[in-house]
Amino acid sequence: MAERGLLFLVAAMILASTVCTTAQVQYQREVDVVPGEEDIGGGYKTPSVQRPRPRASWWGAVDVCLLMTALGLSSWIVLRQRSRKGFVALTIFCLWYFGFHRQGCVCPIGAIQNAAVVLTHPALTIPLVVILFFLLPLVLALLFGRVFCGGVCPLGAIQELVLLKPLQVPRTLDRTLGLLKYIYLCIAVYFAVQPAAHRDFIICRFDPFVGMFRFNGPAGILMFGGALLILGIFVGRPYCRYLCPYGALLSILSRVTWRGVTLRGNKERDCGLCVTACPYGAIENMRVVPSSCLFCARCFNVCPAEADEENSG
Amino acid sequence: MTRHQEPTRRDVLKIAARSAGFVALGGVGATLAFNRGPDGKWQICPSKCIDIRLGATGVEVCDLCAVSCVLPLSAVRAVNDFSKCGRCCICPGYFDITSQVGPDGLPSRKLCPRDAITRKAIGEIDPDDPLNNFYEYTIDEARCNGCGKCVMGCKEPAGLGSIRLEVRSDLCLDCNRCSIAIACPHDAMVRDVADLTKAEA
Repeated sequence: MAERGLLFLVAAMILASTVCTTAQVQYQREVDVVPGEEDIGGGYKTPSVQRPRPRASWWGAVDVCLLMTALGLSSWIVLRQRSRKGFVALTIFCLWYFGFHRQGCVCPIGAIQNAAVVLTHPALTIPLVVILFFLLPLVLALLFGRVFCGGVCPLGAIQELVLLKPLQVPRTLDRTLGLLKYIYLCIAVYFAVQPAAHRDFIICRFDPFVGMFRFNGPAGILMFGGALLILGIFVGRPYCRYLCPYGALLSILSRVTWRGVTLRGNKERDCGLCVTACPYGAIENMRVVPSSCLFCARCFNVCPAEADEENSG
Repeated sequence: MTRHQEPTRRDVLKIAARSAGFVALGGVGATLAFNRGPDGKWQICPSKCIDIRLGATGVEVCDLCAVSCVLPLSAVRAVNDFSKCGRCCICPGYFDITSQVGPDGLPSRKLCPRDAITRKAIGEIDPDDPLNNFYEYTIDEARCNGCGKCVMGCKEPAGLGSIRLEVRSDLCLDCNRCSIAIACPHDAMVRDVADLTKAEA
C-alpha cells in the first residue's frame, strides 16, 4: 500500500515538473464573450467574413453547351468542310478551354468512373453535367465515330499539337498495344466500383496531362506526361491510341458507326498518300477504320482528289 | 450501287448493333438520370475535422488539407469569423502561447508558419497600455495554406473558436475525387449541397 502511494507521489511530481517547465506562460483566456462593437468603441464596425461563392451552376450549362458545339463543329469540319485548318483551330480552342481554363475537369474520361460508381451504388448521385459529358461523345461515336477524340478532348489536343514528325507504327505492334486501353478500362472500372473505403479513381490519379493543365502535380505523373509528349512527337497520340479508357469505349461504339469519315475513292489514281499521311494507322485497304480514326483530317490535306474537288467546287 | 438497294448481311448486322448501342446508351442514360443529384461542392464538415471539432484540443494539428490538395496553394483556407472573435490581446491562434514572453508582455513566437495573420489594434486605442486594447486578426488569403495551426490554437477552452477551415469554392477545382477527401483520416471532406458551416453554427 505504502509502495503504491510512493509511486503515485513520484508520478505526480514528474507530472508537475513537466507542466512547470513546458508551460512558461500560464495562458488565461482573456474574454468569455465576444466584445460588441460598442465595447470596442471608436466607431468600430465588425467586418464581414469573405465567403466567395461557388462557381455559378449556369457555368455547368455553358460547359455542356460548349461541349455540344465543339462536338458538332468537329463533325462538321471533318465530315463536311474536310478542313485540317479548321480542325487545328478547334483543337487549340478546346485545349485552352477544357484543358487550361477548366483545368481538365469535368472530363468524359474521368466521368466513366462516376458513371460506374452510380450504376453499381444506386444510393449515390451524379450531377447532370457529368452525365451529359459522359454520354454525348458516346452518342456521337455511334453517329460519326470518334469525334470527341478529334479536336474536342484536351488530352488528345495537346498530343495532336506536338505530333510533328509522325512515324508509322508497325500494324501488329499497333494492334497489340491498342489492347492495353481495354485492360486499363476494366481495371479503372474495377477500382471505381469498390466500396467507398477502397474506391479509387485511377484514371484521374494517373491522368498524364491534367498536371500540365494545372501547372502542378506529382513529379512522377508530370514526368510520365512529359515522356508521352516527347514520344508523341513521333508516335501519334500514344495516350489516345494505347491507354485512354474512354477511347476504348468510343472505339467499341464507333465500329458500328452510322456515317464515319470517308475518303474520295479514285480507281485511276489509287495513290495511297492518305495511308502514309495517317499517323494513327486508321486507313486499311484504302478505307477508314472508324475505331482507330481520330478525326484529325490529315488524310484530306494530302489527297489530290480532295484538292480537285476543292478547285472545281 | 447494288449495296444501297440490297443491304448485305453485314449492313443489317451493323444496323442492329448500332440500334443496340443506342438502346444501351439510352438505358445507361436513364439509369444515371434516375440517380441524378445536385452538383454538391466539396466542404469541410466542422464536426468531423479534428482541427475544428471541439474536444480534440491538445492533439497534434492535422495539416493534410494543406499538403494533399492538387493545387499549389491548397484551396482550404483558415477563416476568422469576426462575429465570434474575442479580439484578445494575446490571441492563442496568433501567438504561440507556450513561447517565452518578451519584454513587451507578448509571447515571442507566432503560431502561423507562413505569417499569414495580421494583428491590428482596433476601437479606442490606449497608446500607453497596448495590452489593454482590442485587436483584430485578419488572415491573408494569399498566404494561408490551410495548415490549421491557428484553428487548433483558437479552439475552446483557450480561445472562443472563431477560426475554422473552409474550402474556398472559387479556388476548388471540384475534382471528381478530392485528394484531400482521400487523405483525410476523419472523412471530414464531403461533397454536399447544404452549407455545412451554417448547419453547424
